[in-house]
Amino acid sequence: MTEVLDFDIVVLGSGIAGMSAAIHASKSQNEKVRIAVISKLHAMRSHSIAAEGGISGVLYPGQNDDSYDLHAFDTIKGSDYLADQDAVSILVKNAPKEIRFFEHLGVPWIREENEEIQFRAFGGMSVKRTAFAADKTGFFMLRALYDYLTGIENIKIFHEYYITHLLLSEKRFAGLFGINLATGERVLFKAKACIIATGGYARVFGFTTTSYSSTGDGIAMAYRAGVPLKDMEFIQFHPTALVPSGILITEASRGEGAYLKNVDGERFMKDYAPAKMELAPRDIVSRAIITEINKGKGLIQEGSGMKYVNLDLRHLGKDKINFKLPMIREITIKNLGLDPIEEPIPVRPAAHFTMGGIHTDINGSVMSADSSIPIAGLWAAGECGCVSIHGSNRLGSNSLSQCAVWGRITGIEAARHASQHKGQHPVSPNKLVGNAEKDLDRLIAMDGDESPYSIRERMQNAMEEHMYVFRTAKGMRQALKEILELKRLSKRIGIEDKGKIFNTNMRDAFEISNLLELSEVSIRSAINRKESRGAHAVLEYKERDDREWLKHTIATYSKKGPKLSYIPVKITNWKPKPREY
Amino acid sequence: MKTSLALAPMYAAMMGVPVLMVLYLLALLFVPAAAHYVFVPLIIIGLLAFGISGMVEVYVKGHAKSPALSMFNHPKKEKGMNISELPGNPAELIVTRLNAGAKEADRQIYALHISRFTSVLDMLCAVKEKGDQTLSFRYSCRMGICGSCAMVINGKPALACETNAMKNLRNGAINVQPMQAHPILKDLVCDLDEFFAKHLSVTPRLYRRDKKGQYEAQEEYPQKQSQIQEFLPYSYCIMCGLCMDACPVVNVNPDFIGPQPLSQAYRYYKDSRDQLNVKRLNEIDTLEGLWGCEYAGACSKVCPKGVDPASAIQLMKKDTMKSNITNEKKG
Repeated sequence: MTEVLDFDIVVLGSGIAGMSAAIHASKSQNEKVRIAVISKLHAMRSHSIAAEGGISGVLYPGQNDDSYDLHAFDTIKGSDYLADQDAVSILVKNAPKEIRFFEHLGVPWIREENEEIQFRAFGGMSVKRTAFAADKTGFFMLRALYDYLTGIENIKIFHEYYITHLLLSEKRFAGLFGINLATGERVLFKAKACIIATGGYARVFGFTTTSYSSTGDGIAMAYRAGVPLKDMEFIQFHPTALVPSGILITEASRGEGAYLKNVDGERFMKDYAPAKMELAPRDIVSRAIITEINKGKGLIQEGSGMKYVNLDLRHLGKDKINFKLPMIREITIKNLGLDPIEEPIPVRPAAHFTMGGIHTDINGSVMSADSSIPIAGLWAAGECGCVSIHGSNRLGSNSLSQCAVWGRITGIEAARHASQHKGQHPVSPNKLVGNAEKDLDRLIAMDGDESPYSIRERMQNAMEEHMYVFRTAKGMRQALKEILELKRLSKRIGIEDKGKIFNTNMRDAFEISNLLELSEVSIRSAINRKESRGAHAVLEYKERDDREWLKHTIATYSKKGPKLSYIPVKITNWKPKPREY
Repeated sequence: MKTSLALAPMYAAMMGVPVLMVLYLLALLFVPAAAHYVFVPLIIIGLLAFGISGMVEVYVKGHAKSPALSMFNHPKKEKGMNISELPGNPAELIVTRLNAGAKEADRQIYALHISRFTSVLDMLCAVKEKGDQTLSFRYSCRMGICGSCAMVINGKPALACETNAMKNLRNGAINVQPMQAHPILKDLVCDLDEFFAKHLSVTPRLYRRDKKGQYEAQEEYPQKQSQIQEFLPYSYCIMCGLCMDACPVVNVNPDFIGPQPLSQAYRYYKDSRDQLNVKRLNEIDTLEGLWGCEYAGACSKVCPKGVDPASAIQLMKKDTMKSNITNEKKG
């Protein structure tokens, strides 16, 4: 039996984008719309909570020679000119409002003597424009959102509901289908509007800064429902992930002045980005680290055998580290017994952020496959959506502003849509539930010999070997071969847990099938893009090729694998130029 | 869960013998003759108890329900190098499990190999991935900030992701149990609904009279960095529930609101931007609120983020009494 729940708006995902969307949807209609926030975790534990360094935004234009235009230019240059420039303009104009909004919810932004909000330097940003709350910015923002949201009428949180299917009917949103993990009961959420805010899919890699839960569920279910995905080949590798766990060591440590050093103690960034040094954009710093390691200039960690370079914070001094980077110190002490006041931190690049995602217009409206018309009643916000403002490489601290800005935009748009469609749902999703129920029945009954977990491990190994910081045409083809083999094997998996209550085995199997789907799209998109741009660095192609490839990849589901097509990049004021730092 | 009781005599003996020895030495100073007769037999009995209870421990292990598993937990591979072949240290993970419908919990023992980097969460994940897919536990960020993996490890409430396995081996094993102060759903997964409801009962958000102005956020509220420092140490709460689990009062009196919500009341009470001020104290000036706390201090000891609910509660008690006295004078 499937329980049916009825709302005006369902928000899928409870990170900064999702909770912002719910709040602004409600507030824009005087708390009159009925909203469900659905999370596969406890809502306050979403991966946004792990964001460390800060949120970008020109809070005081004119001060410090900063302007919206400069923020936009930095973002576009950082994107290697693949960002849509009209969308970037929306980001930079709205980000400051969001920083103030979060201040009003209680976030303890670090302040200057004159009580203005303080900024720190970040990679690829010309000036200091990243507001921060020590190195727990995402934590403070998400907790403030949760506490504020729970004080608003007519928003109901569904903790630990795992949604498996997005139901569409004739280019309209119809409903969401999934499981209440605590009871194992199936649920259909009916609503007039839906905002997908489920985050990225960096867990296609094993060595990643992201939470175990960053499995791209919303992107995968949208893709299966026929929604096109955009720019899926672009995966960001954060230069400084702790070895061997992959835990994020924030870019803010370099923003505050930390050095990257090779085995000889040299600040090797002078050879790669002499002007910006450690504060070059992430794609460039990651390539520099791997190049150093490949040259034999890395170090090897005893016990894990992993190769790394050093991130040296010692010269920052105890007080600065304790005040501005306390979590970094806590993490290295608890994980490695290493105090960054006394020793450098072993780091190497790890999968961190997925620039690609659900194809949306600049308002976050999800586009339909065969036309430029949006799907009615469906939005995507945050990392799962590709607006696109990050193009082929995101600048640090632009993601929190993206989540807040498009959380607000999509929330307001969805609420307007819901209030304009009073009364009955235009589409009855009940008929659509049958197939989703069958899918789940089939999955829980699976009794094969293959372990979903070993499939995941093989997928992550293939991605790490062939889709990492440097790619080759041959390697990517090999990765694709492995993924297709794993997709075949995944039809023969066994689910050992047949119980109903908190069955994480079944959830994991579903997540793994989502990751497999997305890794295939990512690899195929990457194989087809015959250039090197931003985070997509292919050894065979030395250069960016604007004549052929200044365009977005669009991938649409078919049974034989994704169909690829291309749409132009929106260029407004900033013509592509060579990218030097 | 009941089987862990079998360990009680062993722990009692472990604690008892050293105490007896100290008493014996003290007694030697004052009444040397009597000391020999009283304490030497007691110490011998204590040592015997330790030995016998150790055998009970072995017995319990032998009767644990599932067969022992063998697996390797290895970090990610460097290209061209198979780390699983590096020598790991053998270790056991003893998990107290409750399956849906079962009346009693049982203990399962899993054998794995660990390295100096392995966390208790890594061990649980290795069991799930390579041994027993039916084991349920919560986890997400694995960096001590999401608050998912709260459980009882070697008898102490802690986050699994922040607990290093090698450093916490006891007789070659790590013992994990679900938290006890929250209802158990399955295995290590607790139902935290009531806990969240308690958190929400203290108005845990910045209160402004001008709600519209707060939402519209035209400009920053004035606040000095020194004013931020007042509430900052109390704002690190990750809502993991460990302090509630450690609190002896919460464990016997479920109506006591507990250390987590009270610490969050204090966090907003001390925020200079908040306008609920002393009304916050009135809300919790009850036997189930502030006055339920008996100042055991266990909450502050187990908090993985260094929040100090015990001090927050005492400071609020002080301010409550002050404001009550002022009100009486006014009345």
